[in-house]
Amino acid sequence: MHELSIAMEILDIVEREAQNHGAGQVTDIRLRIGDLSGVETDSLRFCFEAVRGEKMVTRHAELTIVRVPVRIRCGPCDDEFEGEGRLLRCPSCGGLDTELLEGDELNIIDFEVE
Amino acid sequence: MKKRAREEAKQGFMDPIKLEKKILTRNDHVADQVRERFRFAGVSVINMVSSPGSGKTSLLEKSLEPLSDKLSIGVIEGDIQTANDARRIAVTGVPVHQINTGGACHLEAAMVRDALGHFDLNGLDLLFIENVGNLVCPSAFDLGEGARVAIISVTEGDDKPLKYPAMFHTSDLMVINKTDLLPFTDFSMESVIENARSTNPAIKILRTSCRTGEGLEGWMEFVRSFAAL
Repeated sequence: MHELSIAMEILDIVEREAQNHGAGQVTDIRLRIGDLSGVETDSLRFCFEAVRGEKMVTRHAELTIVRVPVRIRCGPCDDEFEGEGRLLRCPSCGGLDTELLEGDELNIIDFEVE
Repeated sequence: MKKRAREEAKQGFMDPIKLEKKILTRNDHVADQVRERFRFAGVSVINMVSSPGSGKTSLLEKSLEPLSDKLSIGVIEGDIQTANDARRIAVTGVPVHQINTGGACHLEAAMVRDALGHFDLNGLDLLFIENVGNLVCPSAFDLGEGARVAIISVTEGDDKPLKYPAMFHTSDLMVINKTDLLPFTDFSMESVIENARSTNPAIKILRTSCRTGEGLEGWMEFVRSFAAL
């Protein structure tokens, strides 16, 4: 359940940034979470809802989660693919001469305020 | 600017506040500071991760004494509760400090930073950090280590790397432990290696048995060459 630590970090970051911008209530926080980040979406939502009341500015905030599938680049195929089953194996040639392009993100994109 | 933003906020037409930053920025930042301290003091650091019971502590118990021949070693033990593992390590004569996370399922860089006061860093060549037994949560938390080692035992499924890809994706080495038990399991060496490589094509692989001693020399060789870097 490291999703709890992650939810707390989100609150801290958003509270600080909201204050910097003189913003009032935060309504929506958008996250970009890669399939290879090790974060479980439902668990993160559960934790976030449990702790969002701890900060005045996030009391009514909702999470919008943008999942990012694993994308790889295969050297021999000289092409990009979606990684099957969160894996880096090339779905075309089956080889492992690949590199991860995206899918390990654990980012805050932005948040909406009113 | 701030005033305008506040006015706009009042009227309810403020643009979204763009961040596009890592959620674990703070941990990453502390990890970088810790890494810098290690670099300055000349300490090589290995973060050991695995599910509970795969043999992290046993592997250390078996290798600390022979490694101490040429290296000055310290160990940080991470557990939710108890100092049992630290007591096992203390028997080997190596300086050890136990971190109890009190519920948290992983170590964070700040916990490691706060534990460093228990060691004479300048006198150390090598520090092992034994993470909390958990194949999910520790993967996201950089501790300032130079190498991450995932340990898996043959009594676990050979599909563990597929089920927990983030952990194997972020590790430099996979140690397959308890190989003496292979005849009693359906564990396939070939599958586990194939599965680990498909999450991390560059991952190194070693096999060990802390009971028979098989592969321990290879493990120590890995540690020695890492510490010599």
